[in-house]
Amino acid sequence: MAKELRFDGRVAIVTGAGGGLGKAHALLLASRGAKVVVNDLGGSFTGEGKSASAADRVVEEIRSAGGEAVANYDSVEDGAKIVETAMKTFGRLDIVVNNAGILRDVSFQKMTDDDWEKIYRVHVLGTFRVTHAAWPILREQGYGRVIVTASAAGIYGNFGQANYAAAKLGLFGFASTLALEGRKKNILVNTIAPIAGSRMTETVLPPEMIAALKPEYVSPLVARLVHEESEETGSLFEVGGGFFAKLRWERAKGKLFRVGRQIRIEDVDQAWDQITSFENAEHPDSVAASMQPILANVEKGPSQGGNDLIDVDESLGFEFPPIESSYDERDLAVYALGVGAARDPLDTRDLQLVYEMHSGGMKALPTYGVVPAISAILDLAKKGIQPPGMHYGLDRILHGEQYTEVLRPLPTNAKLTHKARVKHIWDKGKGAVVVTEVKSYDEHGEELIRNDVTMFIRGAGGWGGERGPSSDINNPPARAPDAVVQERIPENAALLYRLSGDWNPLHADPEFAMAVGFQRPILHGLCSFGYAGRHVISKFAPEGNPDFFKSIQARFAETVYPGETLVTEMWKESDTRIVFRCKIAERDKVAISNAAIELFKEVPKPKSQATAQPTAAKSEAAAPAEPLSADIFGAIDAFLKANAEVVGKVKTVYQFKLSAPASVWTVDAKNAGGGATPGETQKPQCTLSMSDGDFLAMCTGKADAMKLFTSGKMKISGDVLASQKLEFLRKIPPDLVIERMKARGAAPAGKAEAQPQAETAADASPTSWDVFVAIRDHVGRHPELAQKIQTVFVFKLADPPSAWTVDLKNGKGSVEEGETKKADCTLAITEANFLDMTSGKADSMKLFTSGKLKISGNVMASQKLNFLQKIDKEEAKAAVMRARAAGAAGKSAAASQPAGAAEANAPKVFAALAQRLAENPKLKDEVQAVVQFRVKEPEGAWVADFSSPTPAVQEGTSDKATATLTLNDGDLGELVRGEASAQDLFQHGKLRADGDVTVAHRLGFLKGLA
Amino acid sequence: MARKVNVIGVGMVNFQKPGASEPYNVMASKAIRAALKDAGIGFEELEQAYAGYIYGDSTCGQRAVYEVGQTGIPVFNVNNNCATGSSAIMLARQAVEAGAAECALAVGFEQMQKGALGSMWNDRTNPMDFHVGVMNALQGFNEAPPAAQMFGGAGREYRWKYGTKRETFAKVSEKARKHAAKDPYALFREELSVEQILASPEIFDPLTRYQCCPPTCGSAAAILCSDEFAKKHGIDNPVWIAAQAMRTDYPTSFDGKSMIKMCGYDLAKNAADAVYQKSGLGPKDVDVIELHDCFTSNELLSYEALGLCPEGGAEKLVWDGDNTYGGKWVTNPSGGLLSKGHPIGATGVAQCTELVWQLRGQAEARQVEGAKVALQHNLGLGGACVVTMYRRG
Repeated sequence: MAKELRFDGRVAIVTGAGGGLGKAHALLLASRGAKVVVNDLGGSFTGEGKSASAADRVVEEIRSAGGEAVANYDSVEDGAKIVETAMKTFGRLDIVVNNAGILRDVSFQKMTDDDWEKIYRVHVLGTFRVTHAAWPILREQGYGRVIVTASAAGIYGNFGQANYAAAKLGLFGFASTLALEGRKKNILVNTIAPIAGSRMTETVLPPEMIAALKPEYVSPLVARLVHEESEETGSLFEVGGGFFAKLRWERAKGKLFRVGRQIRIEDVDQAWDQITSFENAEHPDSVAASMQPILANVEKGPSQGGNDLIDVDESLGFEFPPIESSYDERDLAVYALGVGAARDPLDTRDLQLVYEMHSGGMKALPTYGVVPAISAILDLAKKGIQPPGMHYGLDRILHGEQYTEVLRPLPTNAKLTHKARVKHIWDKGKGAVVVTEVKSYDEHGEELIRNDVTMFIRGAGGWGGERGPSSDINNPPARAPDAVVQERIPENAALLYRLSGDWNPLHADPEFAMAVGFQRPILHGLCSFGYAGRHVISKFAPEGNPDFFKSIQARFAETVYPGETLVTEMWKESDTRIVFRCKIAERDKVAISNAAIELFKEVPKPKSQATAQPTAAKSEAAAPAEPLSADIFGAIDAFLKANAEVVGKVKTVYQFKLSAPASVWTVDAKNAGGGATPGETQKPQCTLSMSDGDFLAMCTGKADAMKLFTSGKMKISGDVLASQKLEFLRKIPPDLVIERMKARGAAPAGKAEAQPQAETAADASPTSWDVFVAIRDHVGRHPELAQKIQTVFVFKLADPPSAWTVDLKNGKGSVEEGETKKADCTLAITEANFLDMTSGKADSMKLFTSGKLKISGNVMASQKLNFLQKIDKEEAKAAVMRARAAGAAGKSAAASQPAGAAEANAPKVFAALAQRLAENPKLKDEVQAVVQFRVKEPEGAWVADFSSPTPAVQEGTSDKATATLTLNDGDLGELVRGEASAQDLFQHGKLRADGDVTVAHRLGFLKGLA
Repeated sequence: MARKVNVIGVGMVNFQKPGASEPYNVMASKAIRAALKDAGIGFEELEQAYAGYIYGDSTCGQRAVYEVGQTGIPVFNVNNNCATGSSAIMLARQAVEAGAAECALAVGFEQMQKGALGSMWNDRTNPMDFHVGVMNALQGFNEAPPAAQMFGGAGREYRWKYGTKRETFAKVSEKARKHAAKDPYALFREELSVEQILASPEIFDPLTRYQCCPPTCGSAAAILCSDEFAKKHGIDNPVWIAAQAMRTDYPTSFDGKSMIKMCGYDLAKNAADAVYQKSGLGPKDVDVIELHDCFTSNELLSYEALGLCPEGGAEKLVWDGDNTYGGKWVTNPSGGLLSKGHPIGATGVAQCTELVWQLRGQAEARQVEGAKVALQHNLGLGGACVVTMYRRG
């Protein structure tokens, strides 16, 4: 049973306590130990007259029950006197219950000034006076509880109570403010909207209803709120007839117009649904919360304008979801033929553009770079993906200008990923200009092509926005052109060009062309663009080699018909820049103006292939035999049997569970005579599960154990920390592995290839090579060392063998691989001990005295080696990284290729979700949110809208998401198949949630999809 | 009836970044001298000393105390992870309370190295292996600093449970910086916006760099005595310890169900409950709090463990401003571990120092108006949590 809530020692004022609610409050508080000032004027419920008897009767009832109370007969308008009674009688005041009230119900048209004034005076002024008189006392003692009595009539309105309703809701505002001002001093203020049968309500409610609405059903809430342990403040409650509930404000999500632009009546009208819909409503509970949308709007900055056709605020910067496409030799040939190449099939340069078996290799005509970008934009449009805020039809669009840049010569086939965004929107007065940037990346993620597609949108301008930079550029100089090429465009050119992807009937269908106002089908602007590109390349690229082409900028000024003659006039502005224009000979009109082509000085090479290709060739030739995991475990077995001290140190029994192919191994590095054996053990302390391939990669230094673990490729159970002791695997001499390989008849092609050499992987543990690189770096930074130390050291390392000369005697000192005869001091040590010594894990003195470090020559000089301890770790790491990058790039390229990527889950999952949503619209109510998914590996983005009246799943992003969930495609698959829970993924950091995290609780809709 | 124990002198040195501080013995001797001066007594009056630190060889405590005086008194070296400082205070309090000493010193110091905390002893059972095991089962293990993974993991669990906004975590750090701006002893005194905090590099979701306390060097000292000792030395109306409790782990820390529990929630809650019961005061009576905000997530959890709000209520508390000036409490007026810094052994004593200044009205620009009751919460994983209530008058 809950403990009794008591009010011992507390003093309360209850106004209007002669009867009804006030009396019930007073009796309840007094029965629990409070001393009560029972205030009642004793007037009628309409506020007339005055009599002491009502208050006296209540006081008498309290006293006879053993409580303490005093009567007060003042009007609440004389609030100070009521407070004075409390202080004089009881010496303190803790609780003020403003309850007194009257009614003057009358329809508004009949309401008099007096009706209004009386109600105001008792309810509003009275509550103010009493509370105001009590306030300094409550503040001073740092404790107070105040109740203000409002009414449902005030909250919702009630016929005939305009005066009363105004006063009552006014009091709620009053109380909310006092709650804020009083909080710091522990004064809590709450408002109740009670309904109870009392003298006041007898006039408006039927008698049987009043019987159910006992005042005693209200008082427990009042008492709960004024108790010292209550923390509630600033709240509003509806109470009565056994019902208790807190009330709050609800606000529609609403509509935000960016500030700084005109908001028309029509704009408000159009947004009416948003303004009035309570879907995703909010519950502001303070002025700050109320202001929040406004502040956020101001923070966004002034509007950039727009109109019905283009809303710049919504459109500008929009990023389209990435889209993929590919092309091959056939596409290049079709394009080249479409723009007039190889009319002379004996011209070897042109033949190279269309013939994939050309002896000099096929080359791409670089203006082809525009084709995949335009196709990508068309594909996106077909999928219905377009920037929000762009509401114009295709009929308004003119392809005005085009800029295409290739970052290096286009390969003859490629798989491309295109990323497009709205880069600029300019207001050109009558029309608008929209520049869409498309960047295309190759399979290695390396950027290959950039396009700026400039569209002129007729009739869409005029919102007073920025005009953008002047486009009056690339004007031909006054002199005669430096070169001119004239070429007649064949009658069937458009029919050929459209095979490259622009299927608009305007270029093929005579009737269609006539219908839209042309005499006959017209040539694609981009076809003449390709002609012009060819002309410039033939005249100015070195030897006419298209690989020197870098970029082209052009404006489409006039329609060209197939069969007309194109005259390209070119001016060489510099070795790498040609300004040009194209005229139509028959009509003396300029078809392409303000145009220029830039050339590379040197043909750039792709980054990712420059180093990879020769290595690949080399490794094909060498193709060394690879060790099997059995070889490694055999080596571990031999190593542990030969090195009892390792067992003494590691003291752990490991179980390895390998998959693909499956095998189980026990490595006992705990018990004397332990080793590695196939099969399970009863009591492994630490179990490691991974694929056979990953195990080999880990043991040969190609993969880092920690990374395998954190990426989930290696799972560890049991004593996780014991896995750190697996470092000993690195100390196993490679010869042991090779022996095992030989024993099974797989002779390694080259010893170096099969050794577990850590330097083949950039992220592996250091080797002596790394240490010497770091020493070399340190010596280079400290030329004074040579003068100080005056010694030539030679290190002879074993297991695996290597030798290094550290010369700290001659010149500025040097560190070189190999031996020298001029050594002053020679140190012989194993690789493992050397690493321990230089990393501080082993003491050189101990190694020396135990015979593991042999020193010949000047033994005392070895003491000068303590400069090794002073090498800055960060600098050493940086030096090693640099050296590895320079020297070992080729080696790391030999690392195993990832297995063929499995098909992505996400596209299937979200397609299935769309269907599920269509079949089961109730799903929307279970989720009630806009959920944005950002999927990685491979990347993708989807928005599942469970909020709007028309729920939908769409590829792309949204800025209206309730929550954004980021996860890998593989993890999405696990989620869908029920193999992982959302909570688990979240706790592991594999599911990232931005926005409302709790949306992730409701991902059940994904289960079983696809 | 146990004797009343007073805190009559406190002192500390400005906290510094690793590498920028004086050696531990110099820092500690300065703090001890400041505390002696504050109390108005000489070193020879001290009958016992408790010295807290975790990084350093044995008997660094003696070495630090010897700088100030060599009177042959007992010196105990105390090591209890991040709760080391308050553990030293607790031992000193017990000595005075039990009548074993009239006046005792608690000093904490730490000379830390750069970077996140790591283990020095890889050849033996790791004392945190239970904790790491729980964490590995619940969320795996990665390259982030282990402490950030633990408290960050608790933060994840909390976010999942209550849908807490990222901004709420950041606001804790924003508040810490705002407070630290007025604390001359603090390491980071530059204010940061919520945006800056969220934009700093992510250490372990949801924690960004500015939501993690920095490795710090520093020292603080406190002198505790009996009523008789105070009277004899004319010390009027000193700050006194109304209640103090330490708790270590319960099975709930390791039952593998909760990162929040693993990160010491039940230790803190039980220690706080014990303190409230013994003192007869509740959270509402407290004016000012120094609590263990090693990471922003732990400040939120500590609000709940200390009973400032119901479970799940920390976000509201933050946005209501009930953790700063003008609200129900001021938490970490000194800037806390996040901004003042966290020299591990010194932290608990530095918290005490701040609260003593607050109760005496000596906290200058960061004074909490009319502070009468102060609460200290100092948590170390491994684990120990010490909660202390101080009063004046």
